[in-house]
Amino acid sequence: MDALVSQLETPRSQQELYNSEEEQEQLALSLSPSLKFALPPIAQSQAWLRAMTDDYSNPNCPIKIAHGTTTLAFRFQGGIIVCTDSRATAGNWIASQTVKKVIEINSSLLGTMAGGAADCQYWLAYLGMQCRLHELRSKRRITVAAASKILANLVYSYKGMGLSMGTMCAGVTPQEGPALYYIDSDGTRLAGNLFCVGSGQTFAYGVLDAEYRYDLTDEEALELGRRSILAAMHRDAYSGGFINLYHVKESGWVKHGFNDMNPIFWKTKLGKGEFSNVTADLN
Amino acid sequence: MSSPFSINGGAAVAMVGKDCVAIACDLRLGLQSLTVSNNYPKIFPYGDVYLGLTGLATDISTVSDLLRYKVNMYRLREERAISPQTLANLVSSSLYERRFGPYFVSPVIAGLNHKDGKPFICGFDSIGCIDFAKDFIVSGTASDQLFGMCEGLWEPDLGPDELFETISQALLSAVDRDALSGWGAHVYIIEKDKVTKRLLKGRQD
Amino acid sequence: MAGMFAGPQEMMGYSFNTAPTSASEPRQHSFYPYTDNGGSTLGISGADFTIMAGDTRSTSGYSINSRHVPKLFLIGGEGPKNKGARIVLSVVGFAADGDALKEKLDKEVKMYKYQHGKPMTVSACAQRLSHILYNKRFFPYYVHAILGGIDEEGKGALYSYDPVGSYEREQCRAAGAASSLIMPFLDNQVNFKNHHIPGSGEGHDLKPVVATPLPKETVIELVRDAFTSAVERHIEVGDGLQMMILTKDGVEEQLLPLKKD
Repeated sequence: MDALVSQLETPRSQQELYNSEEEQEQLALSLSPSLKFALPPIAQSQAWLRAMTDDYSNPNCPIKIAHGTTTLAFRFQGGIIVCTDSRATAGNWIASQTVKKVIEINSSLLGTMAGGAADCQYWLAYLGMQCRLHELRSKRRITVAAASKILANLVYSYKGMGLSMGTMCAGVTPQEGPALYYIDSDGTRLAGNLFCVGSGQTFAYGVLDAEYRYDLTDEEALELGRRSILAAMHRDAYSGGFINLYHVKESGWVKHGFNDMNPIFWKTKLGKGEFSNVTADLN
Repeated sequence: MSSPFSINGGAAVAMVGKDCVAIACDLRLGLQSLTVSNNYPKIFPYGDVYLGLTGLATDISTVSDLLRYKVNMYRLREERAISPQTLANLVSSSLYERRFGPYFVSPVIAGLNHKDGKPFICGFDSIGCIDFAKDFIVSGTASDQLFGMCEGLWEPDLGPDELFETISQALLSAVDRDALSGWGAHVYIIEKDKVTKRLLKGRQD
Repeated sequence: MAGMFAGPQEMMGYSFNTAPTSASEPRQHSFYPYTDNGGSTLGISGADFTIMAGDTRSTSGYSINSRHVPKLFLIGGEGPKNKGARIVLSVVGFAADGDALKEKLDKEVKMYKYQHGKPMTVSACAQRLSHILYNKRFFPYYVHAILGGIDEEGKGALYSYDPVGSYEREQCRAAGAASSLIMPFLDNQVNFKNHHIPGSGEGHDLKPVVATPLPKETVIELVRDAFTSAVERHIEVGDGLQMMILTKDGVEEQLLPLKKD
């Protein structure tokens, strides 16, 4: 185990951003996600990457990277609610309706995914590994503050390279209680009570801000998370699919389903008379 | 993404059946990612001929009103309803008048010929080139998806009920893979002396 | 190839036709290392099988390079023919990147077997592929990959990837040029999206059909339908249909003709 720990501990400053064939072999055989990435053989690699992959600055870009969309998390007296949609779009094309945008870092830490799907998946898996190593080294659970800082420092070291992620880390630890951090690929790291991230964030904030109180009951909080995401899915073209709902408590997180939004939408509309902009008349 | 054809979003499809035709559209009006309205039908009746228009919403209004004017003038002068073939040529010439500053629309026509009752459908590009098809016509931001669905589900000589089922499934499944269209649908089944309009409940995301 | 250093939009002419000005700094020519070789692939997983399929046309622009370039590859078998392989990788996009990716994954799966004395599971292979793709995050492989196999419980497994390694296990997935034509058809016919049980209620009470795994014969028929439809409406798809049917007994390969126009 010590050998493994020391191998994984090599500071990034000693690692270079390109790898020879031999290093690649090595890397292929190592167990860990690697921090060595191939770069295109040109001077302006960042501008090139943007031209190839950023469909916002170049709609005809050849490589369409799947993008994530509406996610939210908020702190309340009973812990933290984490809720997301499940749609991935590449331009106007809906690439998937079943993306899991809540990433289970470990049994008490959750991460959310907005922006580049691969960036979030890869780096949150990497964060999970670092959290486990922290546990092995110090014989206690990592704090959410520390975990979020590992991620923030990591993405900051790649600043300007074109990573795209807006993520939230949510967890409950004995030292901190419920803790929530927002981290994005610019290097921003913020602690807070309530965040919405993604193209549908404004719609989610609209519902969440109106109804949010710290002393919400567990049921009220779950329903508020669900309802906020529902509003965003309805109005934002790039959000939709399934509602992925989690409750983080002191004993760890609990999953509250991955449910299709459509029946929930019609139940909310017909049962509570909300969404009166949509016609229910089928004639 | 700022192509005028895909700012507002929307989809339309027309299909031929046995002695009947069907035309359907979605109900979304958006401004890029923001959904502004979920009740914006894109099918316009001109007598018993139906025109579906997708593309830039302002041009949909302009073109549908312009054609309403022209079709009314036609009816007053000729003292008879306009046939689908005639409407097709009227649409084509009206669009070509704006050859160098086109309306950003992709029209679709469906109707039954007045003399022999034969099904007629056709589609256009934005400057009026007519696509006479024997099977189906698709248009809008979900056109790729609609091509796939129609090519997979459509078969010759479908009756009115089967045609309704086919066009509904094709449209709903197609718009569920397009971010810019959906939010409900309208379907018209046009038979010899009966037109049935139905509203479809679609996904609201 | 002249296309190597030309921009994606200008197909003809020299890439270096902008006249240099005397005061200009040293400039990098536009670097475009990709070609879209067209084609389409798809995978569907069932209760105890997975079916992978792809057309065999290879194009660049409006030209057909070849009518028989397979997009499906056996991963981690014995010898040059990959005998006894249990995993199939399909790649569509830039064929050279696809080939490089296939070689790399195949090598690693084989190395795993030699070092651990047991074959790699599909889930492990799936994660490995994700990391291989992400390792080129800043110089991506221009490919959409789908990985098929049978999982440890004997169920059909299917994983789909974006070019930089985001991945997800799914029931069905179409990729490539005609994915936008095929995918909604699969949603409708495999996952029964927008299907309702007749007579289960009026209006809002109508119950949706719950998707159940389809039998193998039905899936094969759907795959053929999907491709014959795609061939009609997409110029980059056609010539041949390569299908690989994965079961607990191994991989069975089929080649069927498609329209060549």
